Amino acid sequence: MIASAWIALFAPAVGVALIALARDAISRQQAGIIAAGSTFVSFTASLSTFAIMLGDDPEERSHFSTLYTWLSAGSLEIGLQILVDPLAVFMMLVVSGVGFLILTYAIGYMHGDDEGRRYHAYKALFVFSMLLLVQAGNLLILLVGWGMVGLSSYLLINYWHQRSSAVAAGKKAFIVNAFGDAAFVISIFLLAQQLGALDFLTVFGTALGSIKLSSTVAVVIALGLLGGAVAKSAQVPLHTWLPDAMEGPTPVSALIHAATMVTAGVYLIVRTHVLFELAPAVLDTAALLGGVTILIAGAVALVQTDIKRVIAYSTMSQIGYMFAAVGLGAFAAGMFHLMTHAFFKALLFMAAGTVIHALANEQDIRKMRGLARELPWTYRAFLIGTLALAAIPPFAGFFSKDVILAHALAEGLIGPILWAIGLVGALLTALYAFRLLFIVFTAEPSQIARRHLHRERFEGPLSMMLPIGALVALTAVAGFIQVPGGWHAVDTWLEPVAASLQKPSAWMEIASPVAALALAALGTVLAWRFWGRESDVPAKARSAYPRAAGTLEQKFYFDEAYDAVLARPTQRLAVFLKRSIEEPLILSSLGEIAGSVRELGQRFSRLQTGLLRSYALALAAGLALIAAVFIAVR
Amino acid sequence: MLTTVIVFLPIAAALALWALPLRSSRLTGLIALGVGLAEVGLWSTAAAGYDFDAGGLQHVVTAVWFEDLGVSYKVGMFDFSLWLIGLTVLVTLAAIGYATWAGRERPRVYFGLLLLLLGATIGVFAAQDLLLFYVFFEAMLIPLYVLIGVWGGRNRARAAITFLIYTMLGSLLMLVAIVAYGLTEGTFDLTQTGISSSEWIFLGFIVAFAIKAPLWPFHGWLPAAYREAPPEIAALLSGVISKTATYAILRIVIPSFPEPLADFQDPILALAAVGLVYAALLAFRQPDFRGVLAYSSLGQMSLIFVGLLALNDSGLSGANLQMINHGLVSAALFLLAGAVEYRTGTGEFRQLGGMARGRPVLATMLIVTGVIALAVPGSGVFAAEFLVLNGVFTVGWGWAVVGVVAIVLAAAYMLRAISATLHREVGPAVHESSCDLRPAEVGVLAPLIAALLLLSFYPAGVSDHSFKGEPAETVIVSRLEP
Amino acid sequence: MGPGIGAYLVLSVLLFATGTVGVLIRRNPLIVLLSLELMLNAANLALIGFARQHGNSDGHIFALTVMVVAAAEAVVGLGLIVAMSRRKLKLDVDQMKQLRG
Repeated sequence: MIASAWIALFAPAVGVALIALARDAISRQQAGIIAAGSTFVSFTASLSTFAIMLGDDPEERSHFSTLYTWLSAGSLEIGLQILVDPLAVFMMLVVSGVGFLILTYAIGYMHGDDEGRRYHAYKALFVFSMLLLVQAGNLLILLVGWGMVGLSSYLLINYWHQRSSAVAAGKKAFIVNAFGDAAFVISIFLLAQQLGALDFLTVFGTALGSIKLSSTVAVVIALGLLGGAVAKSAQVPLHTWLPDAMEGPTPVSALIHAATMVTAGVYLIVRTHVLFELAPAVLDTAALLGGVTILIAGAVALVQTDIKRVIAYSTMSQIGYMFAAVGLGAFAAGMFHLMTHAFFKALLFMAAGTVIHALANEQDIRKMRGLARELPWTYRAFLIGTLALAAIPPFAGFFSKDVILAHALAEGLIGPILWAIGLVGALLTALYAFRLLFIVFTAEPSQIARRHLHRERFEGPLSMMLPIGALVALTAVAGFIQVPGGWHAVDTWLEPVAASLQKPSAWMEIASPVAALALAALGTVLAWRFWGRESDVPAKARSAYPRAAGTLEQKFYFDEAYDAVLARPTQRLAVFLKRSIEEPLILSSLGEIAGSVRELGQRFSRLQTGLLRSYALALAAGLALIAAVFIAVR
Repeated sequence: MLTTVIVFLPIAAALALWALPLRSSRLTGLIALGVGLAEVGLWSTAAAGYDFDAGGLQHVVTAVWFEDLGVSYKVGMFDFSLWLIGLTVLVTLAAIGYATWAGRERPRVYFGLLLLLLGATIGVFAAQDLLLFYVFFEAMLIPLYVLIGVWGGRNRARAAITFLIYTMLGSLLMLVAIVAYGLTEGTFDLTQTGISSSEWIFLGFIVAFAIKAPLWPFHGWLPAAYREAPPEIAALLSGVISKTATYAILRIVIPSFPEPLADFQDPILALAAVGLVYAALLAFRQPDFRGVLAYSSLGQMSLIFVGLLALNDSGLSGANLQMINHGLVSAALFLLAGAVEYRTGTGEFRQLGGMARGRPVLATMLIVTGVIALAVPGSGVFAAEFLVLNGVFTVGWGWAVVGVVAIVLAAAYMLRAISATLHREVGPAVHESSCDLRPAEVGVLAPLIAALLLLSFYPAGVSDHSFKGEPAETVIVSRLEP
Repeated sequence: MGPGIGAYLVLSVLLFATGTVGVLIRRNPLIVLLSLELMLNAANLALIGFARQHGNSDGHIFALTVMVVAAAEAVVGLGLIVAMSRRKLKLDVDQMKQLRG
């Protein structure tokens, strides 16, 4: 089992190495096949790990394995170590499975891009990093994976590097995440100092047992981890990078900025839930941040005009649900939503990618209209994705989102607040999801649609359509692995690693879906009224409340605030240091010392009259002085 | 015997180059390259012959020099100095290779000086006698002064003289300190000298090393020297020569002056912390590639100081690892900056941009090195910085927080430098015809980058094989054994 | 026994003072040189007087050395003066102050 886990981890790395070494010897398409193929190997290995683990006793499903000592200093020793347990296997399956589908899709999508090899190598690098993240057996290796997914994300966002918007977006993503990493690493320092080790076995064991962490220390540790998680998962207030990250090619958005990397924060909280449980206040903070993100992202998504940005905000909002779940202690519910979200969000992005592909890279939804007739299959896929997103049964989102709401109802203090937020979120989700669907696909085709689409009815090559088909199937059936009131496969599977802190009763499991479904239906109907047919409601609303509309369109001014509070003061400080300290004091200090020595010399040089007599007189005077001193001393 | 050969082979070769009436510049370069390769071979022999389990001083050569003063010729290698000597030979080989490829005027003088520098630098790392150490430390200065002052850029004269005056000031203070220390101890043999509690002697040493490294605010010589020197000399200066100072702190100051060091721990840490943030902010304002690298180098040296001054296992191991990592990273980056300047005639970001398109090798190498330099988790630099900050965290959490913030800022300026060179629209100085890296340049850079990748996969290779495989604290802080 | 050491020294001091004043106030280099010789010989006289007083020859040796040096100096000095006059420069030491700082 351990062997297959190692194979799953390193297969994509081998893929990267192959593509990098082969360079021009392989075609772009072959590079794509190598990348997707290596991910497929990974997926198969993950499946076999899963199958073997199924045979184990539920309590004995955690296995550590160390390849070699990666770093050591004094008593601190950190190995290249993996932990294979139900949680890791769950994530491995999602990452390698969805990864394989998206990498396959990318072969068709990137056809014709002349730097395609680089792209496929980056993609495989990402899958490797993500697997390292989810399989890591200690916090430092987890941080390595964590940083490397950030790096691959950076490389892929600015993949089209001639566009300065893409370059800026890549840098922004990297730096916001670097702040998260900084918080993360500080809690690692604290853990190393307090516990003397970083592997999960020792950390969780000693944190619970032998070494009592003081409550302040526990809170700081949990806050640091939360900081990392919030940045990576694009939660308020460190979310600003995600919408910009849509500058990357669409499969990148699907894989990294929807299905896998951005959910790493959720995974981190579940993985280190032992530490979070020592600081319940931080866990509540996570849940509330998730709640705030649900509302803010859902509201902003209502006014976005870029097809990918709408989906990006929806991703933030959905991860908000996951944060709320894990913050409430409903770890399995969060992971379940993570999985279903990976399916339907990847589906939405890939369908959106097909649209963009078909319209020659047009992303503005105001220019799209009535694409349903020209792109029927894409339309159907998009529709199913939208239904799942809006949590309409029987699609996956319905089951997973409603488990979260049920758990919220079961939690005492902040649960009801989050439950209410979740319901408002459900309404918002249905509104923005169907708004997008209606604007893009219904009504008469727009000019641009007619220009691009009348000639052929070609929606995409097989390599693009097959993965979409697979995801449609998954979106349709995946929800049934956990049915409220029925069976709880995900809960049971994750029970030994991360047991939920509360158990919703049967009525909660029924009441929540009913309420949520009612609101989702209301949202759908409203969306149809507003955007499904010609309506002046949105325009009227805008002119009636210009302030509110402006705030939404400016995304609640987060970017502007960071600019004013962080970016510009830092730049001003840098300018000040350069102009007032470096240049006048440090760089010219030597010149000034030299100058003053020269001046002193000039002053003394006036004694040199050049007159022989004055020298002789000085000599004689000196002699007389010495003689006088001699006589006086005697 | 091996240590003496590794030190004096390049010096002898330098003398031979000056004496021989060689006409062909290509032959001169090839001879220098041959000597560089021979040095790598010698180093490999030394490393293979070094018993890492036993640790301590090995490959020792001793001879009497001034008997009555207690001065001797004594050279040898510790495990951590072995790594630094390895860094020196590797980076110098790359520098010789680059200079051969780029072509330098008056090659006999040039390569002779380069080889002299190589010998002197190895001498610094190998010397086990204070006076001998001083001789080698000063001997580095002569070739550097000439190399910057004659073969440098437009403001080379000023850069060279500033560098010379700053460094001389430090070394003269150090000479006084060495004499005072040696005479009170009765011997200059570093393996026999005892612990001193004199703050004045300590300050004499530390100021010299703070200028050479440099530590903020003693870096007045740095921007000009790194900008004006030929790229391969800047690579050597920032990659290797700066490490002699931090090495000397590890080898001389920490074991010999524990008391004054403890008194000055906080002030020096404060200077290093200021330097970290200051360098990151200034690097962000630099208009050119080499300016960014210069200030980045200041920041990295500050970080090494932080690790050294943490005075514990994690900090010392991290500093030691970071010396090697930063040596390779900054050498590679300066050579890449040289390659960019060679093609465009400028390092100004305003003139650059869009070089990635059609130049995959240049782009790959610059991105790989840059990404390692900004300490992306998983890189060797990350491993070292983690150890450094983890070490200083136990001294005071504030230092670690400042360090972490500075590293985030470092990520920002390094990404700026990368994308201003490689990405966005094609800059005015970048011509369609300026080619990708040539095979020779790839050959020069590949070993450095390969070493960096190796250190990323296996940082324990160095951190576990320094200080006898034991905790650094016990080996360094509580006396180096002979 | 001739006159005592005091008489020698008085003469020596008188000679030396004469020479000093000559060096300080005269402008002709030739006279300056002559005054210089006078000072040297005043010193010689004192040395020989002391040698006689102590009865050993140290003073004689010093005096001889001073004579040699004085001869050499005179050669250089006179040579310079000849060179000056050949170039038709004015023989005035106050005119030669190019070394002013």
